Amino acid sequence: MTDPDFTPSRHEERTLSTTPAAHPSLRELTRSEWRWTPTVGVAAVLLLVAIRIFAPAEWTSWMTDPAKDFVTLSVSVIIESLPFVILGILLSAVVQIWLPAGFLLRRLPRNAVLRRSVISLLGVLLPVCECGNVPLTRGLIVSGLSVADSMAFLFAAPIINPITIITTYQAFGWNDGILISRIVGGLVIANLVGFIYSTHPAPQTLLTRSFQAACAVDPHAEHGTRTRRTLISFGRESAAMMPALIVGAGIAGLIQVAVSRNLLITLGSNPLWSVLALMALAFIVAICSNVDAFFILSFGSTFLPGGIVAFLIFGPMIDIKMLALMRTTFTVRTLVQVSVLIAVCAAAIGLAVNLVF
Amino acid sequence: MSFSRLITRWKGLALTLLAAIATGWLGATGQLGLYIHPRYYVFTLVMAGIAFVLTIGALLVIPGPDEHDDHDHGMHGEPDGRGPDAHGDAGAGRRRPLLALGGSLTALVIVAAAAIALLVVPPSALTSAAVEQRSLNGSSNTLANAGPPPGTSDDTSAYSVKDWASLIRQGASADDLSGRTATLTGFVTPDADDPDNVFYVARFVVTCCAVDAQPVGVPVYSPGWSSSYATDSWVTVTGAFEANPSVLSAATTVVRPDSLTAVEQPAEPYVY
Repeated sequence: MTDPDFTPSRHEERTLSTTPAAHPSLRELTRSEWRWTPTVGVAAVLLLVAIRIFAPAEWTSWMTDPAKDFVTLSVSVIIESLPFVILGILLSAVVQIWLPAGFLLRRLPRNAVLRRSVISLLGVLLPVCECGNVPLTRGLIVSGLSVADSMAFLFAAPIINPITIITTYQAFGWNDGILISRIVGGLVIANLVGFIYSTHPAPQTLLTRSFQAACAVDPHAEHGTRTRRTLISFGRESAAMMPALIVGAGIAGLIQVAVSRNLLITLGSNPLWSVLALMALAFIVAICSNVDAFFILSFGSTFLPGGIVAFLIFGPMIDIKMLALMRTTFTVRTLVQVSVLIAVCAAAIGLAVNLVF
Repeated sequence: MSFSRLITRWKGLALTLLAAIATGWLGATGQLGLYIHPRYYVFTLVMAGIAFVLTIGALLVIPGPDEHDDHDHGMHGEPDGRGPDAHGDAGAGRRRPLLALGGSLTALVIVAAAAIALLVVPPSALTSAAVEQRSLNGSSNTLANAGPPPGTSDDTSAYSVKDWASLIRQGASADDLSGRTATLTGFVTPDADDPDNVFYVARFVVTCCAVDAQPVGVPVYSPGWSSSYATDSWVTVTGAFEANPSVLSAATTVVRPDSLTAVEQPAEPYVY
């Protein structure tokens, strides 16, 4: 907790944490929950498995084809993203609990521009796509990284993670400068966002209040063994991430069923429209950055390289699922600003690539 | 009050447990392929296993017997990722019970919806409704690796729907493919322009998960097909290529079926 901005809210937190004393029943409830928890856990597991095995197909036989596709697509997003979200939560716990306090922050350069550059490059070490980066970024903010710096990490990491770079290379090689434009463009935008928000007078107000409160609890000051704290942190982060993931997956599935892709794809061969249409496609498809290169490659010659670059830069940073996940951490106002800023930058880079190559 | 508190404390674990169990069950019954590319099977199952263990572990330690309510503030009033600001205040539940209740109800609805989608609805492959949304054979490059049309000596018995669709897409005419017999398995989807006489034997090509699936298909000329075969049912077609007799259909080369039989949906309905 090196950031002085944390102090007031932390103080407030201390005050708040004494309020339960006024509600003696809360403490009692905690005890009684503790007693029935293991039984309920086992019962819940058995119940869920039983539902899955015995639920008759007739219950849902009334569903129309679009309704079935909606469920299939949403479930597909959940199952594909779940491992990365879990991995992100675990890495976040490692940063907060298993690494010594300030392990990361102490090693960062003091110069602001240099520090953000280093942070935006940290993603090279982490094979986590965008959905896993949200819990990790939350962990970094809780550990004391400034909001602006953590944004530089959040937006750069999915693009420069090693798997993304390899798959983009496999898909496009060095053709049309797509790989280079993606990496450089992603880093430039992430650093730009970081720079712009570093001038914000009250960076804490960019965060949702509930997350500000979560930041105010210093994880290193919590008691209990590390394993225990890891499990508690897992419970806390999954409470924030999982509902957002479900909602994001639902919206992504709904849009896929409702919006025809044909129009977007038809627009893809026009120098200007290709950039905008493919950004719209990236937004609604909400595909993982690790494999988006293969996805867009499958449309191959239909699209101009600038459109593809805009897709590959914009998609990992902003899409339906990401907005739902980031909403756990940033205010709506912040997300709108960031989305517009990134969209404009990605479009500019895409158009530039169309003109140059 | 205690209701809201219970929900905020357990919803994340409940959802993780749901998703982990659903994933494990799909893996155990060999149906993961309906949702994701096989290259992710191991990673997905391992992470689902870890999620399961962590959830059980978390169930055992939260809330511990000596736990103070410190942790609660982070979870309190973080209802669903959509409206944390409205009721996101630490301790909002104490000051604004109605908002906290609303947040809890939203969370309950999300958990219920996830349970239905993940555990109650039987797993299914994408349908023809998705074909309409995604332009059949519209993704050129999925189909671009086909190489030149096969010579007469080449063995084409193992060619799939995707292989033949690539050849036709690249402009292989009925002449190029004359004397070739194709055996194709896929689901039935009607031709947009001449649904009475022409249908496609189609498959979805998946690069990562069902979200990015692109339909590919080979047109089959068979007047009155819809009286015998339902859209989305699976068939195996054997037949030779010829120029499309249909005047309405945009397809140039079609398969004229020698035999057309209904089959079960294969275990891996998508191609890669």
